[in-house]
Amino acid sequence: MSKETASPSLLTAVKELPGNVWKSLFRNPLPTNDLERSSTSFTNFFLHIHPVKVHKNTLRPSYTLGLGLISFFLFMILVVTGILLMFYYVPSTTQAYDRMLDLRGSVAFGTILRNMHRWSAHGMVAVVVMHLCRVFLTGSYKKPREFNWVLGVVLLLLTLLMSFTGYLLPWDQLAFWAITVGTAIAGYAPIVGKDIQFLLMGGSTVGQEALLRFYVLHVAVLPAVLTLSIAIHFWRIRKDGGLSRPADADPTPPMEMAGSAADPRPSTLDGKKTYGLQGLVRGPLTKVNNIPDNTVFSWPNLFMSELFVFVMTLAVVLVLALLFNAPLEEPVNVMHPPNPAKAPWYFLGLQEMVSYSAFWGGIGVPGIFVGLLLLTPYLDRSPKGVGKWFSRDRLLANTIFLTFLLANVIFVIIGTFFRGPNWAFVTPW
Amino acid sequence: MAVSRRRMLAWITGTGLVGSGVLSAISNFVFIKPRATYGQPQRFSIGKPDDYPAGTRIALDARRICVVREGNRIAAVSTTCTHLGCIVGLADTGFACPCHGSRFDSDGTVTGGPAPRPLPWYKITLAPNGEIEVDKDTEITPGSYLTL
Ligand code: FES
Repeated sequence: MSKETASPSLLTAVKELPGNVWKSLFRNPLPTNDLERSSTSFTNFFLHIHPVKVHKNTLRPSYTLGLGLISFFLFMILVVTGILLMFYYVPSTTQAYDRMLDLRGSVAFGTILRNMHRWSAHGMVAVVVMHLCRVFLTGSYKKPREFNWVLGVVLLLLTLLMSFTGYLLPWDQLAFWAITVGTAIAGYAPIVGKDIQFLLMGGSTVGQEALLRFYVLHVAVLPAVLTLSIAIHFWRIRKDGGLSRPADADPTPPMEMAGSAADPRPSTLDGKKTYGLQGLVRGPLTKVNNIPDNTVFSWPNLFMSELFVFVMTLAVVLVLALLFNAPLEEPVNVMHPPNPAKAPWYFLGLQEMVSYSAFWGGIGVPGIFVGLLLLTPYLDRSPKGVGKWFSRDRLLANTIFLTFLLANVIFVIIGTFFRGPNWAFVTPW
Repeated sequence: MAVSRRRMLAWITGTGLVGSGVLSAISNFVFIKPRATYGQPQRFSIGKPDDYPAGTRIALDARRICVVREGNRIAAVSTTCTHLGCIVGLADTGFACPCHGSRFDSDGTVTGGPAPRPLPWYKITLAPNGEIEVDKDTEITPGSYLTL
């Protein structure tokens, strides 16, 4: 046993076990200096998506309102509660509704899980729309962020599709008639409409096949697409140089420092890199151009604000889930739509428009609207007014956007409060 | 002039890969398009004429039709809204749809709301056993009754 003096004895190994496991998991102790602060984000897989340093403007709560983060956290809550709900759900027309009642009656935490899932879904629709407004009203879709804006619009559509496929699953009256109407709207699309309708329903009427299809879309296909798109959306933020900020947020380096004017070999890196990342992490702390900058370390500044936003989001969802129960209507009655048969609030604007014309309300106007949104960064090429709320330079664009938004809000309000039985106009007072 | 062997191989490989990608994408759609659907039969019997006394309008919700009898004439009007497929309810003035407010008179003609077409009438025949048979696959011109 004398040979073992070279390696520590088993006893020592056991004694040091917790510490060694910890160290193998986390490469750095809690940081105490700038070098360690950079290493923390640099060497941790989950923090690695963040830059080592972020611009101060990014952390201004009044600039981003944290909306993108909130949407993401709501999505995470939806994934977790959704997976848990899957343990008790059966996508069968004869069982689905009973399973909903089971959640209420005989499953531990069933009600609160379902409530959390429902309210997070509503919240996600609202917050994603607000995030879109924030990005538009601060001009953040402009170069080089055009594609990330497009991805964002796709994410909004995916969010709406997720919620649409979700509310067939309880197989209650809302579910059945909303899907009947929703798929019929798809049927109005030119050329491929009828095929899409048939593919969605897996038959010519809403029934077992439709329920199964919507279930697969809701729990597998759409989440996969959504997750991938979110990943690219985040990755693009890094590649596009972080969140947008006004031009005057960065101090310009003195002319003699920039020095590239006389350089005969212009490099594509010029003007983009202000410090060497490797140099920062591995030390010594060298900056390419020794200029003052407005960045702070992600640890702890960014991470703490993210943690704060997460805790707040979770808290709000929990409180809502404790206070308000997600509605469950009568079981499906294929013979009688409820009267009036109303969609959830965020689709009521659409329903209101559809009550004027199925094609224009359901396909035409929304299609033009989405098309315009997608094209926005390619139509508005002026680089001015980025990074400021309601910048004077963007008066026209903002006005058009707000007009569309307001029209939609008005339609939602009419649909919610001013429509009664047989979709007749009523006054709520 | 001659295409080099390497180029040629690159072309074949490229076309092969892209082609199989496109084909597999299409085959997904073929896969999810059901070949057979098991809905309700579109031809069915709705009982004897005596079940529908003269002057009544009886909605058979499960079949999504309304049986109209006037004197000794009888007809079957669809109760599926031509707008977005909700079931229209019987109203004093004919039919009314709860979803987006389409209104039809008792013949199924649109009198208000967004419905683009009148409610279709279905072919109705008297089977040898004396029962009425409705064929939802065949639409007939509105207003043509079967005289008993
Ligand atoms: S489905 Fe009847 S009015 Fe819309």
